[in-house]
Amino acid sequence: MSETVEVIVDKRTFNAEKGTLLIDLLIKEKIKVPYFCYHEALGADGNCRMCMVEIEGQKRPQIACDTFIKEGMEVRSTGENIEKVRTDILELELINHPVDCPTCDQAGECSLQDFYMDYGLHNSKISIPEKVKNLKKVDLGSNVMLDQERCVLCARCTRFTDKITDTHELGIIGRGDHARVSTMPGRKLDNPYAMNVVDLCPVGALTSKDFRFHQRVWFLSTVDSICHGCAKGCNIYIDHNKMKYQDDIIYRFRPRRNDDVNGFFICDEGRLSYKALQEDRQEEIVLNSKVIMEDEAIQAFHTLLEKYETNITVVIDANLYTEEIEAILDFSKEIGASVCSPLEIYRDEDFKDDMLKSAQRAANYKTIENLHIDTDIPAKSGLLINFNHPGEFEAEVKIDFRTHQDTKAAFILPIASYVESSGHITNEDGITQLCQKALSKNNPVPTVLEWLEKVRS
Amino acid sequence: MRECKIVSRKFELENSFTLEVSKANGGYKTLEKLKEYSPTDIIQIIKDANLRGKGGGGAPAGAKWELMPQKSDKPSFLAVNCDESEPGTFKDRQIISKDPHLLIEGILITCYAIKAKHAYIYIRGEYYQYQQVLQSAIDEAYEAGLLDACDITIHRGAGAYICGEKSALLESMEGKRGHPRLKPKQKEPEWYFGNPTLVNNVETIATVPFIVENGADAYKAYGTEQSPGTLLFAMSGHIERPGVYEAEFGTSMMEYINHYGGGIKNGKKLKALIPGGVSCGVLNAREVENLTLDYEALRGIGSSLGTGGMIVMDEDTCMVTALKNILEFYHEESCGQCTPCREGTGWVDKLVGKILDKRGSKEDIDKLLGIADTMNGKTICVFAPSVSTVIVSCIERFRDEFEGAL
Repeated sequence: MSETVEVIVDKRTFNAEKGTLLIDLLIKEKIKVPYFCYHEALGADGNCRMCMVEIEGQKRPQIACDTFIKEGMEVRSTGENIEKVRTDILELELINHPVDCPTCDQAGECSLQDFYMDYGLHNSKISIPEKVKNLKKVDLGSNVMLDQERCVLCARCTRFTDKITDTHELGIIGRGDHARVSTMPGRKLDNPYAMNVVDLCPVGALTSKDFRFHQRVWFLSTVDSICHGCAKGCNIYIDHNKMKYQDDIIYRFRPRRNDDVNGFFICDEGRLSYKALQEDRQEEIVLNSKVIMEDEAIQAFHTLLEKYETNITVVIDANLYTEEIEAILDFSKEIGASVCSPLEIYRDEDFKDDMLKSAQRAANYKTIENLHIDTDIPAKSGLLINFNHPGEFEAEVKIDFRTHQDTKAAFILPIASYVESSGHITNEDGITQLCQKALSKNNPVPTVLEWLEKVRS
Repeated sequence: MRECKIVSRKFELENSFTLEVSKANGGYKTLEKLKEYSPTDIIQIIKDANLRGKGGGGAPAGAKWELMPQKSDKPSFLAVNCDESEPGTFKDRQIISKDPHLLIEGILITCYAIKAKHAYIYIRGEYYQYQQVLQSAIDEAYEAGLLDACDITIHRGAGAYICGEKSALLESMEGKRGHPRLKPKQKEPEWYFGNPTLVNNVETIATVPFIVENGADAYKAYGTEQSPGTLLFAMSGHIERPGVYEAEFGTSMMEYINHYGGGIKNGKKLKALIPGGVSCGVLNAREVENLTLDYEALRGIGSSLGTGGMIVMDEDTCMVTALKNILEFYHEESCGQCTPCREGTGWVDKLVGKILDKRGSKEDIDKLLGIADTMNGKTICVFAPSVSTVIVSCIERFRDEFEGAL
């Protein structure tokens, strides 16, 4: 039985559940508290000692990540004493830190930098020249690079492989100021969620081989989206940037917390799926290997519609947005075409696991089912209009709406991929989520909705 | 000075480590007596005797035993702490090498009281030869059928100082890195793989047979009111006859040093003394003069009795070098879990090194005190606060030497 009690933090009263962690309340109420080791997914470890607060009746400052909410508790998170404690501990954290921010990929999103701006900013007392030297470039595997000197030994990464993936690849070896993160000799970091340790790492010790040195984080714009790698619907941030004279490019996907869907993490395959999105993008309208203009294409489209009047099949990709699927259904009704979206093609049992990965790799298949669209493979038809479905189907003539290049297709109409437009998808658990448009390409292509409007007029 | 041999009674006998000699001299006699008592009776006797933990903390043992569940669907365990890594301390090894059967007897009584069927002895890896003696005693006990009700297993540590901290000891026994655990907010036993576990020092357990055999009052006849009984005090350093000698609490420190240790080596004068392993604050000669060996007296002057392993330093000792020696040890042994300790121990070690190299400045001395303050009371275990105590006590008492070394 949970019991709500009143707690006073910095003279303000809050309601909190008795017995829960104080740091959770501070984080929830956005009360500034520095911490490295605590993480809501990994629990308290109490090693960084940064989240010190003063509690009425306690002689010494206490760490908020190991303090449980009690009725009438009085907490001070600011004040001279507490700031001094945080400053002193931060100073110790920095004593063996290489301070190589100019070449560190974490710069700009580094807790150590942030806390230094909050609690540091003093003249260095460090008068000993020799810092502890460690390895600067360790390839841990799974795209993760380790810089042991930058590490603050918060043990988030080791706790992740112990508690979350249960794979135990990472550990801390050595004692005292020579302690460092490492794998077992000859072993690699190797699990399908490994790259989450990069996000977990509060400093620049663990960086992504895929992202590092490609972009400074302060140049990136961030958009909320949903991964389309499978039907799980993991929430992500899309970090992209359009550099001067260049195209808008995605630099990385990062997990976005959603306790109802993916929690804190995403799988590596989903994380790296942004690459395929940007490669071989279909940008031109092609008819029989010739690039044609839009007017010409619409005319050809209508000619085909008239020719095959009663013998038309429309195939829908189960990754399209719900708005798009509904619009295609309406359009199909208007032209009297039969509609289907074969789902079996997307299934990949090998991909499935018991964490986040779903065997059904069509992000919006639930909508196909909800709208009662035929999921069988269509019989051979006269004209087949394929809205980006990956399957191959028999027909006399085909019109292919494609996000990506397709050498087999004769008549291709380019459509925008999900990162170039906005819309909703429904995941396998029936949760409907919004994906926001991330990219504004130099050479934009119409969305499905725009195409449908064009061919109607 | 009153002779009092509770734990060290059989130490001088020839082949005292064998079951034969032990039994011939009253070993395992209390096992018969156990039948008269219920487990809770035993705990009451230990509480009545006010037996205090002899591993350094001096916390009442009975209260700790009481935390163990008498009824539980989980198995209970006893873990005997024989990590003995505190510099200046070498008493437990006397027990396991000279009278291991006393320890086994104590374990059997304790396990009976806390209803444990399995006891582990966590022994530091460096004690290989002592472990051999202990193991052969355990083997003898098994053969004699003494261990039918309770198993005893020796677990060798890999040489980390911090594994003497009870929760780090259990982490190590579970096969993990020896990192101290976060302290529970309420009184509860320790946990070994999630099972209730009692952790006690070797000497504490070895004292149990005497108390059960002779009663609480017999034990309380020794020592002071608040620190009853005896302790295997030890001496090392600049002393004529260093070693382990059992004495009752409340004994005068100088008398002990002169009586058993034969005074300061080569007739020199005492300069400084660390009372109970290096984790306790350093004392100067004047403070030691009228000091008695009990928990209260030492706490009263801002130090602690610790394990009772005294390190004696004569007038020729350089206190900066002594501090450097201690800090090197801490620098090496910090487990590296909490930031203040991990980074602080290295920093203070290097700073004192700098002062020793004549590269230091007056600011460095104040800086040392500042870092000591940061390390105090902000970590999971008491390692860093101990380092802090050592630095502060040393600089406070011998500041002129530090300034002279600049």
